[in-house]
Amino acid sequence: MRLHLGEFHMAITFPNIPAAEETAPAKTAVIKRQYPGALVVVEGIDGSGKSTQLYLLKRWLEIGGYRIHFTEWNSSPLVKSATRRGKQRRLLTPITFSLLHAADFADRCERQILPLLHGGYLVLADRYIYTAFARDAARGCAPRWLRNLYSFAPVPDITFYFRAPLDVAVNRIVAGRPKLKYYEAGMDLGISLDRAESFRIFQERILSNYDQMIETDNFILMDGTVRVNKLQKLMRQIVGERIDLGQFAPKKK
Amino acid sequence: MTRPDKNDGSRAAPNGRPARESRKKARPEPPSRFYGTPLPGVKLEELSGTLFVLEGTDGSGRSTQISLLTEWLESEGFAVQTMGLRRSFLVGEDIDALMAENSVTRTTLSLMYSTDFFDQLERRILPALRSGLIVLADRYIFTLIARSAVRGIGRDYLHGIYEMALRPDLTFWLNVRPEVAFDREFKKAQTISYWESGRDMSLSNDLFQSFIRYQSLIKREFEYLSKRHGFIELDGEGSVSEVNRVLRKRIASHLGIRSTHYQPSHALSHLWR
Repeated sequence: MRLHLGEFHMAITFPNIPAAEETAPAKTAVIKRQYPGALVVVEGIDGSGKSTQLYLLKRWLEIGGYRIHFTEWNSSPLVKSATRRGKQRRLLTPITFSLLHAADFADRCERQILPLLHGGYLVLADRYIYTAFARDAARGCAPRWLRNLYSFAPVPDITFYFRAPLDVAVNRIVAGRPKLKYYEAGMDLGISLDRAESFRIFQERILSNYDQMIETDNFILMDGTVRVNKLQKLMRQIVGERIDLGQFAPKKK
Repeated sequence: MTRPDKNDGSRAAPNGRPARESRKKARPEPPSRFYGTPLPGVKLEELSGTLFVLEGTDGSGRSTQISLLTEWLESEGFAVQTMGLRRSFLVGEDIDALMAENSVTRTTLSLMYSTDFFDQLERRILPALRSGLIVLADRYIFTLIARSAVRGIGRDYLHGIYEMALRPDLTFWLNVRPEVAFDREFKKAQTISYWESGRDMSLSNDLFQSFIRYQSLIKREFEYLSKRHGFIELDGEGSVSEVNRVLRKRIASHLGIRSTHYQPSHALSHLWR
């Protein structure tokens, strides 16, 4: 059985153990850490089809009886009230918006994702740190600051990037929703007083930020305009090639 | 004035990478009022106020000194704004709630404190500094960095998050021994709280031992921070009036005012020991 090597952007050490920057040679930017689990992530703008595809992947693995866990962005009850208060009363600045979401992600990461990876699960994540990189940079946060902020997160084994043309994605969202929310539409940026227009420009910025990460973060580009079942077939094939699924298969007694 | 932490911003490179050599060779610039990347949308020339920070562990006498300094400065005709931990409207109460549970993890708590800090910085401190006020901070990023660092979160990571914080004009460190802090805190509440004694770190089942060990770790972190950021270290074990006298002297000289005479009003006279 192949032992899977998880990676971290940086080391998180424990008390009484000298911090990594004191002990590690200067050039070790990526600290390897072992865990038996694996992490598969989908990313892309709203309406790119990523959630549908991850749902189908999850169903496939669930039906097969694999040890999996599904997790999605912004679901931690711990910081929910703060997020709600900030959004309702429009108190959030680009920095506090970003920090609050990072706190929320940290909670999920430390209490869900990491224990599951250490416990040998295949973790499926609908949106991951790249969502924050693309979205918060579009709000004006410095990319370098954002990279540091999320450096405690384990690096995914596979990151699927679902890309659909802006018009296709925006139409999918606008058609399905009676009203776009204030922050969702990027109204806090003051781009436009028209919500639909603001949403479009905001998504365009996010899309361009995502595109820049294709190479730097080893995204697997998925064409969101391809037929659903055809795209799913490709997704399952890639997962099968890159991850030793046998490791997560039900144990035969 | 010397600024020992001039290269902070560049040290907080992503992934904990050491700063590039080339950054150090950059031509000398006047020290920025930020540690690294400035907060988006802040114009430095607009900030005419002054930021004084008081740091020190629980029981170091910070809050007492802030009350006295506020009165003194107001009597001298300066408008004062204060800040402190968990006082933001955005998440102040949420942090209280998180700390009442035992399920919160270190990174989450650390980042909630960052949110609390930046909310106060952007909504309270910067507007006050734009209006020419004097801001007295009852703790600042240094406590937040120290607390997280002793819990194993990387120092470079923490400095990276707070590189968008405003650099204080003066930072005072009221240094007290953990044993003295224990006496003072115990007198205040007749017990020692879970977080003050760092019980989440499982240092000792004995509350006194746990407090001493935890506060010693924090103190060591402050010694490092003091060197890096050029704190003005004061003996926090001195009498309230003596510590206050030294603070007033340094602040008066920074503000360019002569009068440092001060006698607390009746309302605050109980603090004057």
